[in-house]
Amino acid sequence: MLELERIHTFRGTAHVLQGISLAVNAGEAVCLVGRNGAGKTTTIESIMGLLPVRSGKIMFQGQEITELPPHERAHLGIGYAPEDAGIFPDLSVAENFLISQWLAGASGKAGSSSSSSEVQDRILAVFPEVRMFMQRKGLNLSGGQKKMVAIARAMALSPSILLLDEPFEGLAPVVVSRFIEAVKKIKAMGISLLIAASNLTTASRVADRLYAIDRGEIIFQGDPRSAFANEDVMKTIRG
Amino acid sequence: MDTFLIHLLNALLYASVLFLIAGGLSLIYGVMRIVNLAHGNVYAVGAYATAWSVGRVLGGGQPSPALYLLLPVGAVAAAALGAVIEPTLLRPLYKRAEEYQLLITFGLLLILEDLLRFIWGPYPLSASSLFEALGSLTIGESVYPSYNLVVIVVGAIAAAALWAFIYKTKFGVILRATSQNMRMASALGVNVKRIYLQAFTLGCFMAGLGGAIIVPQQGAVLGMGVDALILAFVVVVIGGLGSLEGALLGALMVGVVREFGIAFFPEVELAVLYFMAAVVLLIRPAGLFGHV
Repeated sequence: MLELERIHTFRGTAHVLQGISLAVNAGEAVCLVGRNGAGKTTTIESIMGLLPVRSGKIMFQGQEITELPPHERAHLGIGYAPEDAGIFPDLSVAENFLISQWLAGASGKAGSSSSSSEVQDRILAVFPEVRMFMQRKGLNLSGGQKKMVAIARAMALSPSILLLDEPFEGLAPVVVSRFIEAVKKIKAMGISLLIAASNLTTASRVADRLYAIDRGEIIFQGDPRSAFANEDVMKTIRG
Repeated sequence: MDTFLIHLLNALLYASVLFLIAGGLSLIYGVMRIVNLAHGNVYAVGAYATAWSVGRVLGGGQPSPALYLLLPVGAVAAAALGAVIEPTLLRPLYKRAEEYQLLITFGLLLILEDLLRFIWGPYPLSASSLFEALGSLTIGESVYPSYNLVVIVVGAIAAAALWAFIYKTKFGVILRATSQNMRMASALGVNVKRIYLQAFTLGCFMAGLGGAIIVPQQGAVLGMGVDALILAFVVVVIGGLGSLEGALLGALMVGVVREFGIAFFPEVELAVLYFMAAVVLLIRPAGLFGHV
């Protein structure tokens, strides 16, 4: 479904991604694990088109998207929830969702013909608690609520794949379990996931496969159990 | 009492035009983070285009009510100008430092001034027949031009329409989202280039409408754009750059202070306005409605 081939990305003059290659198959949950500054966010932002890729190729559902602007990638079915959640602070939660819903309708992609109640059902199936603060402004949400809204908002786009950047970061352990449950529900809906995470233990609870990244290079790929068995990976990730 | 009412109407007249100019300036800044120094002469383009079209249609004849339909010509001309400027001159500079945008819009301000001189010559253009045709009404023992009430009503309708457009429409919600987080909006599927073009065009439309509705009362003269720009900046400094509510409140405050300043202390009328802006800057640097 999603393939990155030898991606090189710079942030300013810093050469962050140094030939990253990875793949996410249909219906699969893949985690990209690494320490802070390893290149996880840069990878996600490169896929979303928020950072220009210097060289390499990004393929999505058989189509090359390397040069496409972010909005066209979203219309193709790539949903995105950034680490800071990116909630529009002066809009209500309902308006945050409406934007995705309208844009999904405008894109004319499969699934976008869903009625607003179907979209609401899809959002509420993942995070029913969102119903409680629909009229609240983004500014007035807690960190966990913002992350919930960010994921639910991306779901309103009817995506084929979701890119989640550090969805479990900064959450209390009980809330992390709640998010893991939500991610499993999303996967059960047939939506692929690429999740950037710093914590290997948490990542292993949701990932079918995982990639370990360090200094902009993939140093491991395989199932979570093999990652735990690999001393080099454990040492690199845990520092 | 009559005198007070007339001063109040004059204040609302100033405020209506100032809101259209400053509201456009604020809208552009709010969405695109560009301080458009050329905005003053976009307002002047609106005034010149309306005065010219009224003159062309009227010839030497008598004004008919249909001539008032030409008022929006200036707004449309200014919007068309904005739709050309944004993709050709501003878009290539978005990734550069703000100084480049200030330089290019300042350059545009000067170029537009010369363009107005080149197209319409150095002499003022008038559309006063529209102003005179409506006559006057009597307020107590004073007479007041009826056309001024048209300007006040147009300003009020424009403010209400803009509010409804920004807060009650799908486009408005997307516009506000883009102004709050452009990267996230684009990642959700918003075509940011198109939104920028629409916001800039709308901002120029507002400035052009300001020029178009005031030209029957004041005429179109070279330099009017720079004068308007300075006052518009006073308005947005007071109200907060990027806030439409701020532009409305700022325009009302400047309108009232300017009118009563002209009436009671004309020597220091402008100084009082700048003093007011300075006080707001000291107490609330982002303006009354601005976000730091």
